[in-house]
Amino acid sequence: MSLFLGALTIGLILSLLALGVYMSFRVFKFPDITAEGSVTFGAAVSAVLLVQGMDPGISLLAAFAAGAVAGAVTGILHTKCKINELLAGILVMTALYSVNLHVMGKSNIPLVDAKSTSTVAEKIGAWIFGQTTDLNWFGWEVSIRDAGMLISMFAVVAAAAFILLMFFQTNLGTAIRATGDNPQMIRALGVDVDIMMILGLAISNGLIALAGALLAQYQGFADVQMGIGMMVWGLASVIIGEALVGSNKQGLVVTGTVIGSVLFRLLVAIALRWGLNPNDLKLITALFVFAALVGPTIGRSFMNKRGNQPSGRTV
Amino acid sequence: MLEITNISKTFHPGSVNEVFALQNVSVTLNDGDFLIIIGTNGSGKSTLLNAVAGSFITDSGKISLSGHDITKWPEHKRASLIGRVFQNPFSGTAPTMTIAENLSLAAKRGKPRGFNWALDKQLQSELRDRIRTLNMGLEDRLGNAIGSLSGGQRQALTLLMASWLKPDLLLLDEHTAALDPKSADQVIRLTKEIIERDRLTTLMVTHSMQQAVHLGNRIIMMHKGQIIHDYKGSTRQGVRSEDLLHRFEEVRRREQVDVRVAELLQRMYV
Ligand SMILES: Nc1ncnc2c1ncn2[C@@H]1O[C@H](COP(=O)(O)OP(=O)(O)OP(=O)(O)O)[C@@H](O)[C@H]1O
Ligand SMILES: [Mg+2]
Repeated sequence: MSLFLGALTIGLILSLLALGVYMSFRVFKFPDITAEGSVTFGAAVSAVLLVQGMDPGISLLAAFAAGAVAGAVTGILHTKCKINELLAGILVMTALYSVNLHVMGKSNIPLVDAKSTSTVAEKIGAWIFGQTTDLNWFGWEVSIRDAGMLISMFAVVAAAAFILLMFFQTNLGTAIRATGDNPQMIRALGVDVDIMMILGLAISNGLIALAGALLAQYQGFADVQMGIGMMVWGLASVIIGEALVGSNKQGLVVTGTVIGSVLFRLLVAIALRWGLNPNDLKLITALFVFAALVGPTIGRSFMNKRGNQPSGRTV
Repeated sequence: MLEITNISKTFHPGSVNEVFALQNVSVTLNDGDFLIIIGTNGSGKSTLLNAVAGSFITDSGKISLSGHDITKWPEHKRASLIGRVFQNPFSGTAPTMTIAENLSLAAKRGKPRGFNWALDKQLQSELRDRIRTLNMGLEDRLGNAIGSLSGGQRQALTLLMASWLKPDLLLLDEHTAALDPKSADQVIRLTKEIIERDRLTTLMVTHSMQQAVHLGNRIIMMHKGQIIHDYKGSTRQGVRSEDLLHRFEEVRRREQVDVRVAELLQRMYV
C-alpha cells in the first residue's frame, strides 16, 4: 500500500514537471532540454534553504524563481542570440550542472532532519484526520505522513493546473499561446514574440524546478543527478495524457497530463514490483516515447496504403 | 498619412544572389487613400508592404505614418498603427485557437496585454454581432478552432481582425490569390465594404486587373524594385484593364533580353 501511495504522490509531484514540458513542447513546440537542469536546480535551491532552516513555502517559491531564471536564459539564447532551440537548452542544462554543484556545495544533500514540505504535510495530515497514529484505509496501514503528503500534493497540483489554465485564458496567456501557434500572426497584432517565448519558458521551467524541489523534499534528499531523463519522462506523461483525453482542448489536455503523469508512475511502480530492472527504466521510457512519436506516422502510412483517409495526429 | 521617402532594400548584398528588391521608392498616401499595387512577379510589391510593416528595416530612406517616424520601429510596435492580411490564409490566424480567441487577440492589437480575461462578456457579444455581418454563419461557431475553417472563411476573419481596431493603415498582399473564385469575390466585397465604411488608408497588392480597375483611387505599377507608373487623380479615372495589360506588354518588349520573364507575363496576363 505504501508503494501505491508513494507512486501516486511522486506521480502528482512529477505532473508539475509534465505541465512544464507541456508548456514548452506543446504550446511552443520547443524541445526544451533545460528541464533536466531545472529539476535539479529547484531541488538544490530549496534543499540549501531548508538546511539553513528557511520556511518550506519560501524554499518552494525560491525554487520556482530559480527555474524561471534558467528558462528565461534559454529563451534569451534562442530568441536574442539566435541559437538553435535544442542547443540553447543543452547549453543552459550543461551550465546548470556546475551551478547546481556550487549551490549544493556537494553532490547530495540529505533533508531527513530539515523541516520540509513533508513535515508540514504531516501536520496537515494530523489536522485533517485528527490523530497522529497510523490510519486504517480499507484494511491497509497508512502513516499520517504519507496520507498528508498525498493530500497536500493533490492540492498543490490541482491549484497549479487551475492557475495555469486560467492564465491561458487571459490576454497575456492567449498571446503566449498564439506565439506558439502562429508567431507571424501575433507579431502582426503587436506582440513581441521574443518576450512571450522568454516568459513562457520561464513559467515552464519554474514549474519544473518546483517539481524538483517537491521531489527532493518528499524523497528526503537532493541529488545533482536527479534531473537526468526528466524531460523524456515529462513528455511521456503528456503523451499518455493526450491519448487518454483524445482531444486537444486545452483544459482536457492539462487535466490529462496530470492523470498521465500519475498513471505512468503507477505503471512503472507495478513493473518494478514485477521485477523490472530499475536500470532499464530510462531505456523503456525512451522506447515508449519513441513508439508514441512514430506510431501515428506508421499508422497513417498504413491507412493510406489501404486507401483510407489519413488519421491520427503527429507528435 | 503614409509617407515613404526614397526607401531601398537589397537582399544578399555583394553576393551572386544580390537582389535590388526596392530602389529609391517614394509614395505618399493621404488619409483615406486606397492604393492598388500591380507588377510582375518579383517586382518588389511584397517587399514594399513588408518594408512598411517592418518585417525588415530598410537599407536607406524614411517611412513615416500618422506623424510618427517608424523607419526604425520593430514590426510589433508598428502593429499598433497597421492592420495586415497575408496572401496565405494560414498566416493570419492561430489555427488551434478558437474563432473567438483569435478575434480577442485582434481586439488588443498594439495594446498592452495583462491578466484580464481575453474574452469578457462584452467582447463576446460584440464578436457575435460583428461576425454576423460576414454572413458566413460563423457566429454560431465561435468556440470552434479556426484551423477547421476554409481559406475564404479564414481570410474574411483575418480581414475582420485586421480592421477590428481601426488601423491607420491597412496592408493587403494578394489576400484573395489563394482562394477559389467565389470565395475571392466574397472577400473582395467584404474588403470594399470595410474600407469604405471606416475610410481606411489602404495598400493592396493584386495580380487581378479586374480588382485593380474596380477598387481603390490610385494604381501604381512596379517593376524591378521601382515604381514605373502611377495612375492617380484624373488619369486613374479612365483606366481600363486593357490599358494596364498594354503597359505590361510594353514592359515585356523592353525586357526581351529576359525571355523567361516574358513567357511568365504571357502566361499570367494574356
Ligand atoms: N527575404 C528575402 N530574401 C531574399 N530575397 C528576397 C526576400 N524577399 C524578397 N526577395 C527577392 O526580392 C525580389 C522582390 O520580391 P517580392 O516578393 O517583393 O516580389 P513580388 O512583387 O511580391 O512578387 P510576387 O508577385 O511573386 O508576389 C524577388 O527577386 C525576391 O526573390
Ligand atoms: Mg508578393
